[in-house]
Amino acid sequence: METANSVYRHNRNVRICHWINVIAFCYLVVSGVHVFLDFPELYWGKVGFRGHPAVFRLSDWGISWDEAGEMGDRRWGRNYHFLFAWISVINGLVYVSWNVWNKHFRRNLLPSRAELTRQSLKTDLVDHLRLRAPEAKAAGRYSVLQKISYFIVIFIVSPFMILSGLAQMPAFTAISPELIDLFGGRQTARTLHVIGMLWMILFVLVHVFEVFVAGVVNEVRSMITGKYAVQGEDTE
Amino acid sequence: MKKLVSRRKFLAGSGAAASMALLGCDSTTYLPPDVRGGLMGAADVLTMATQRLLLSGQPLAQEHDVSDITRDFPTWGNTNPRQEDYQDLLSGEFVDWRLPVGGLVNRPMSFSLEELKRLPQRTQITMHICEQGWSAIGQWTGTPLLEVLRAAGDVTDEARYVVVDTYDGWYEGYDMFDVVHPQTILAYGLNGTDLPLGNGAPVRLRVERYCGYKNLKFLKSINVVSSMAGIRRGTGGINSDNDWHWYAGA
Repeated sequence: METANSVYRHNRNVRICHWINVIAFCYLVVSGVHVFLDFPELYWGKVGFRGHPAVFRLSDWGISWDEAGEMGDRRWGRNYHFLFAWISVINGLVYVSWNVWNKHFRRNLLPSRAELTRQSLKTDLVDHLRLRAPEAKAAGRYSVLQKISYFIVIFIVSPFMILSGLAQMPAFTAISPELIDLFGGRQTARTLHVIGMLWMILFVLVHVFEVFVAGVVNEVRSMITGKYAVQGEDTE
Repeated sequence: MKKLVSRRKFLAGSGAAASMALLGCDSTTYLPPDVRGGLMGAADVLTMATQRLLLSGQPLAQEHDVSDITRDFPTWGNTNPRQEDYQDLLSGEFVDWRLPVGGLVNRPMSFSLEELKRLPQRTQITMHICEQGWSAIGQWTGTPLLEVLRAAGDVTDEARYVVVDTYDGWYEGYDMFDVVHPQTILAYGLNGTDLPLGNGAPVRLRVERYCGYKNLKFLKSINVVSSMAGIRRGTGGINSDNDWHWYAGA
């Protein structure tokens, strides 16, 4: 709905990639959990197997090895994990190259020097903690903490998840043993891959929470149609 | 003849051009024997083609130090095939074990364990990566598969896959790209001893750039074929027949 009080917030590429990513992320998490359930222990270093000292054991949390095995379907998990890894990687490449090219990143996502001052960060943090829509949001822009967290998830955690995934593949013992060594061994890469997933789930929970704080109808509509309603009286 | 020369010149060109020529020449290097339908098949092809391009120089899988060896190498899956023919061989300490090598080779023949051990040997300390998630490092000693095929008079021009059958009923196809790799060995030793029962005695396959499920144990026979089409469900092996990835590098 276009009114005098709405701004065009998300370009079409961002909207399409966002929803593809929602589906891919859900499948990646669920299929990854299925793969994990088939071997529900985590180790540190090069090697790890049943009986080797573990850094995490699901059986310590009340789910035995056999119970986990019954819950997980490794074949389904592997098939869908690799399928949606490709979908996610291609989607991510399209998204990043498109939005670098059209300067969306530089204009809207890269924090300005003025935003990175202590005062600005503090104001934004207080706004978030008081569940108050920050000033920037009211104007249809991203707030500075939002920019920083998006930047981290797009340019740090996503590549980290891809690399720690590749470091677990047997072909990479020949393609790039350096990558596996960089992570400190295959089992460390696997454990870090799980930690990265937990970080991403936390990001999504906060993200969805903030969508509700900012107004779920307006926010979701803006990610579908692109239009974001701006209400002048809400700004301070 | 003229065409052949020009192709040679082309191959002598840049590495990228050579890989592309290869892509056109022999699709079996980049495609599984049977591509699954839909998006799942597309993902399979992307994975295999990408990794095979990255592996086109046939690099070795990382070899580790003696100090990295996992002493009590874990066993998983079948650790003692109940099949009668296997049990007979086991009780005879594999003296009567023979490995027939047949199909598209010039001199089909059969190897005893001693004959296999007389062929050129290779020892490698590599990581076994199970698709479940575990990994362990073992010192494997065995005969390169390529040496076994050479002893059988080499493969014929039509040869595309090597099919391995096991005593516990597994069967799996491997394309020539992996067959010719120096680390693809028929291993009869682990960590300086005979291959233990649980690890696939007397001989197992090591294909280092693949997950555990393509590293078959309890080898029974080797058969060279031009196509996987006629074998069981025809997708390329027991794993892909059961909807697992045929290409197991990921």
